[in-house]
Amino acid sequence: MALARTIENEAPVIALRNLTVAYPRYGGEPRTALAGIDLAIDAGEMVGLVGEAGAGKTLLARTIMDAIPGDGRLVCGEMDYRGAPISRIGRDDSPVRPGRDIAMIVSNPRNELNPVLTVGTQITNVIRHHLRLGKAEARERALQMLRAVAIPDPERRLDAWPHELSGGMAQRVVIAIALACNPGLVISDDATSALDVTVQRQVLDLFKALVEDKGVAALLITRDIAVTAHYCDRIVILYDGEVVEDAPRKAFFDRPHHPYSVLLMAAFAHSVSLRRQWTAAPLKTAASPACRFAERCVRRQPRCIAEAPALRDVAPGRRVRCHFPVEAVA
Amino acid sequence: MQILRYIARRLLFVIPQLIGIVAISFFLIKLIPGDPAVLMLGPNATADAVANLRSQMGLDQPLVNQFFIYLGNVARGDLGMSWQTANPVLTDLLQRFPATLELVTLSLLLALAIGIPLGVASSMHKRGALRRFADGYGLLAGALPDFWLALVLIFVFYSVLQIAPAPLGRFSFMLIPPETITGSVLIDSLIEGRFDVFWSALGHLILPVLTLGLVNAGPILKITQSTMDRALSSDYIAFARLSGLPRRTVRAQAFRASLPNIITIVSVLYSFLIGSAVLVEIVFGWGGAGQYAVAGVLNADVNPVLGFVLFAAMLSLVVYLVVDLLYFALDPRTRV
Repeated sequence: MALARTIENEAPVIALRNLTVAYPRYGGEPRTALAGIDLAIDAGEMVGLVGEAGAGKTLLARTIMDAIPGDGRLVCGEMDYRGAPISRIGRDDSPVRPGRDIAMIVSNPRNELNPVLTVGTQITNVIRHHLRLGKAEARERALQMLRAVAIPDPERRLDAWPHELSGGMAQRVVIAIALACNPGLVISDDATSALDVTVQRQVLDLFKALVEDKGVAALLITRDIAVTAHYCDRIVILYDGEVVEDAPRKAFFDRPHHPYSVLLMAAFAHSVSLRRQWTAAPLKTAASPACRFAERCVRRQPRCIAEAPALRDVAPGRRVRCHFPVEAVA
Repeated sequence: MQILRYIARRLLFVIPQLIGIVAISFFLIKLIPGDPAVLMLGPNATADAVANLRSQMGLDQPLVNQFFIYLGNVARGDLGMSWQTANPVLTDLLQRFPATLELVTLSLLLALAIGIPLGVASSMHKRGALRRFADGYGLLAGALPDFWLALVLIFVFYSVLQIAPAPLGRFSFMLIPPETITGSVLIDSLIEGRFDVFWSALGHLILPVLTLGLVNAGPILKITQSTMDRALSSDYIAFARLSGLPRRTVRAQAFRASLPNIITIVSVLYSFLIGSAVLVEIVFGWGGAGQYAVAGVLNADVNPVLGFVLFAAMLSLVVYLVVDLLYFALDPRTRV
């Protein structure tokens, strides 16, 4: 994919370089929550970002949206949107706007809709603000969006209140809001985890279809590696604020290279002994040069303690951050 | 139409609610020791005269009988006489209740005008100087006794600066009072074109309204701030922000979410202040309903107290009905 891009000379929709976010700590070094993230997503590409709780998945999404929670600071790093550098998209003078160019869908859809505004008002609010449309045009567009997300009886749903919707329906409305202004990038932060698996599947099918249809770049953040196996073109594994593996779907599931990726898959394969290892708390030593995963790694070597591995290319479009990548799953 | 049925059902319960309130206050007041007949006739009255007056007032009858006689009179619109003012209680209350209502209503409007903008702004800027000021103000307003603030304001603006008029009543006693139409001096004087009375009344209102407004802005500020804080950290506001909606829209949505709580606190304050503005009324010689009721309690003058309770209860019931209707209008989830 990287190769194809250089040939056509087409910039990815979003490119992150060396994105680093740190949180200050009282009487100590700031804690690095995101450590030098490099990631690019092309139009029409769906990238799955997988990691355990606290790995920095949501923080990455919020950093792109310029909405870093708490005292977090963007220490360094650059972001390009369609080849042009962007900074702080939350600022009023930013040419790239959150909600219009980069949209985000968060989990727990029923809480994401304002309980005292109708569905139609909430969609048209966003449309009217970003696209500067009149009332009637915005309503027409909202109706189109509800049709696009396959909501039955969309005319009536425009005047429905959020509490009258089911969870899946609410999630569709949220997707409609996110896609209403034709964004270049959509980030789904664990958006479907609150839904029934069957509904989850319907919503993800729909999301995938819309992403392909509109040529949107999508970042699908999830804890469920199985979801990425079904829907994503590329899998990125995040561990403790670092990208540890980045690979095309087929290559990744055929043979994960990073020991952590192997553990993740094993956890989903219900292996008790491996899961015990995967749930062990990482021992964080701030100044240690060691690989961040070393404490939990079954394949640890002296070199892993002495020297942190870099994210290196192992095959076209495939990167791994490990001195001793797994060649075959035992 | 659903609303009308709801109102009708609520109004149906007003009468039993009022009877209950009257019953409780009637028996509680009768528990207070003190014989009105003795107080009325003075310490030198003979036992015969006292007994005579007692039977004249019906005080020699069993308590339950007394209650039903009172209830019957109330049903005919007779709230009894006050022996202190020698007027029918209804006449007294119709004169004094509007004075208190005028004071309390204007004070709460001032409190809202201070509390809401300050609460909203301090919630939107959690780390600014405004937030610290608002927090300090909330604490101070909660700690200040209103009668003390009233005395300080009188000292500063009347005694020292001599800007405010003397704290004696609702308007200058040199002026002939306007005809009572609504009971509010401000409105009545305007209706009759008595601008001298209007300006005088406005001047006399400034200090008591400032006192009650400044003190009661505290709870309104606190409620606005805390519910705004909660709304601003809610998922749907986070989503509105991520959707790139402008700051003023986010603020409006958060404020909308905190409106029910603000309405609740205002309704509670309104009902509460009718009786508890009494200290401020005394300080300013306001001649309000609270003052009248307290004098009644202190002098075993039962009828004014019961009349006041009845008036205040009716007002509370109306206020709470309005509040429920506002909830109805504000939250679609209540309209099932």
